[in-house]
Amino acid sequence: MFAIIAAKDLRELTRDGRLLWAGGLVVMLMLVALAAGWNRQVQLNSERSAGQALDYNAWLHQGYRHPHDAAEQGMHVFKPEPSLAVFDPGIGPFVGSTVWLQAHRQSEVKFRPAQDATGLQRFGELSPAWLLQVLLPLLIIVIGFNSASDERERGTLRQLLSLGAPARSLLFGKAAALASCVGILIAPVGLAFAVLIVARLPAGERVDVVYRITWLAAGYGLYLGFFVFLTLAVSALARSSRAALVLLLGFWVAATLIAPRTASEATNLLYPTPSRLDFDAQLTHDIADAGRKAWSAHFGARTQWDPSVPLSKWGAALKVDDEAGYGALDENFGRLWDTFERQQRAQGWVGVVAPVVALRGFSMGLAGTDFSQHRDFSTAAEAQRRKIQNIVSEDLIEHADRLGNAHFTRLAPSCGQACRNSSTNFRLCRLPWRIIGRALCCLP
Amino acid sequence: MLDAIEVTKQFGAKRALDNVSLSVLPGEIYCLLGANGAGKTTLVNLFLNFLQPTSGSLQIGKLDVVRQPLETKRLLAYIPEQVTLYGVLSGLENLAFFSSLAIGEHLPRQRLLELLEAAGLPRQAADNRVATYSKGMRQKVGIAIALAKNAKALLLDEPTSGLDPSAANEFSELLVKASNDGVTVLTTTHDLFHAKQTGTRIGIMKQGRLVEELRSEEVSHADLEALYLKHMRS
Repeated sequence: MFAIIAAKDLRELTRDGRLLWAGGLVVMLMLVALAAGWNRQVQLNSERSAGQALDYNAWLHQGYRHPHDAAEQGMHVFKPEPSLAVFDPGIGPFVGSTVWLQAHRQSEVKFRPAQDATGLQRFGELSPAWLLQVLLPLLIIVIGFNSASDERERGTLRQLLSLGAPARSLLFGKAAALASCVGILIAPVGLAFAVLIVARLPAGERVDVVYRITWLAAGYGLYLGFFVFLTLAVSALARSSRAALVLLLGFWVAATLIAPRTASEATNLLYPTPSRLDFDAQLTHDIADAGRKAWSAHFGARTQWDPSVPLSKWGAALKVDDEAGYGALDENFGRLWDTFERQQRAQGWVGVVAPVVALRGFSMGLAGTDFSQHRDFSTAAEAQRRKIQNIVSEDLIEHADRLGNAHFTRLAPSCGQACRNSSTNFRLCRLPWRIIGRALCCLP
Repeated sequence: MLDAIEVTKQFGAKRALDNVSLSVLPGEIYCLLGANGAGKTTLVNLFLNFLQPTSGSLQIGKLDVVRQPLETKRLLAYIPEQVTLYGVLSGLENLAFFSSLAIGEHLPRQRLLELLEAAGLPRQAADNRVATYSKGMRQKVGIAIALAKNAKALLLDEPTSGLDPSAANEFSELLVKASNDGVTVLTTTHDLFHAKQTGTRIGIMKQGRLVEELRSEEVSHADLEALYLKHMRS
């Protein structure tokens, strides 16, 4: 029986201008968002490939240099753009996608930890995910707010009930009609998008992406289903269509526009993050403090890079200095990231009353654009940076300056001789750049 | 076929029906007369199970309306004062929808057209949107729905109110035809002429009570009018 009701409602809705205009607008926006996302991703991937190649080339062709100079030059690594970022860019546009693997310090240039809070609190970028999360519920409300109330107001509800149509069939029939409207609008676009995404992937990645798309479809289906039933319930219980519309629009504004913002602000108050200035100051202080302690413990020096430490030990000193900072970096970044994750967990609870908050996390997670995946990348990049630092330091230890402090006490007979001595010395320290370069590019 | 047994319906302090008992036999047309607020529509709503009695019981074909709502609704068809249909759908589409709900199957277009024709709707109007229909045309679609359902009982709530005399007359003829086919009809009306002309029996209600019951053949138009006015003024 509910199929008969659904078919009638669908026929009514298709003859109603609301579905045509509102639905057409949503489909158009969806196509624009997909095209823009697709274009952005193609452009980004191309720029990244070019950037990575240039950077790698510059690394390979840096010529004869002191290993530490090479470490200071560093290299940029580019976070791989997940294919589903076209659908949901998540926090990507706010946290950046490039990490500079440089000497001594975890990169803060492209990844701004203290400012990430605003990135996590971001709301409202024209993406297909945003359209589904925010505009589709509005469309459901616009076409469904009077679904039940209008039957009552017109008197057709009495007619239906007098025929013995059970209320449950009416509800499910109307729900099926509303869901079909949404399905008719977004399913073809969604299906075409999924096929395009999957088709351009290497065969090995397809299963994973299809799996993610399936879960995304289920999650969004559940979310939109919630709005379908909420709309029908309010329409059935409200005194009039107008009251139903006001109530539903109020809920939509509160749940999709206000609640996410409020949740972000509230969780930021609950679990505050430092400003970038404070974060940098604390990190610098902790690294310096750890460095001082390490220099004192290993070399008996009062300060870092104390002249009392012979040049022959500077390879070891670099290693000690770097490793001393690892703890401070781990602690500071770890604390900051843990705070972000605590904020996100706390926001998850807001999802109980504002489902868009819960869906947003779910969607970003499956699209591979949420904070935890950014954290994984940053952690892996940092591990790689340390690996390279160790290679550099080990090389310096192995090829320590055999002249020791005498290096500064002996005057060269001429500039040309000194330069020749220097270049001979550095040639000994020449690193296998290609190996390190490859190691850099092995980042996950 | 339609039985109300000592039915009382209370809305807060107001007693809308007060111990009403009536019985409509198969093939009878029972016309309920009464002023506004006399309880006629409340009684119809009770038979439809839109309301539940405070006390007493209602039966349709010996089935209890409250205990077996879906079964009793299968036996009856309801035509309100304003037959409410879906304006953006045609008369034919409305009939197709309501009849499929009522009988659980899709009738072919030809059968639907026959039903509309039997109800008096011109064939050329069948595919027009109901929004363009007059009240009389809507009533005819309502009758077509009842015909499609092949209902054993018809509940009508002031069905001729607002109809022009010709349309009202056509409607009365349809009721008589249905009654001759064995359909039981309970109709509320303000129209004494219609009641006398169409009804088998007439009941007069006042302030929730059934104050008079008579066979229409036993009274003339003038006597019925005098009796009605006497009850209304007392």
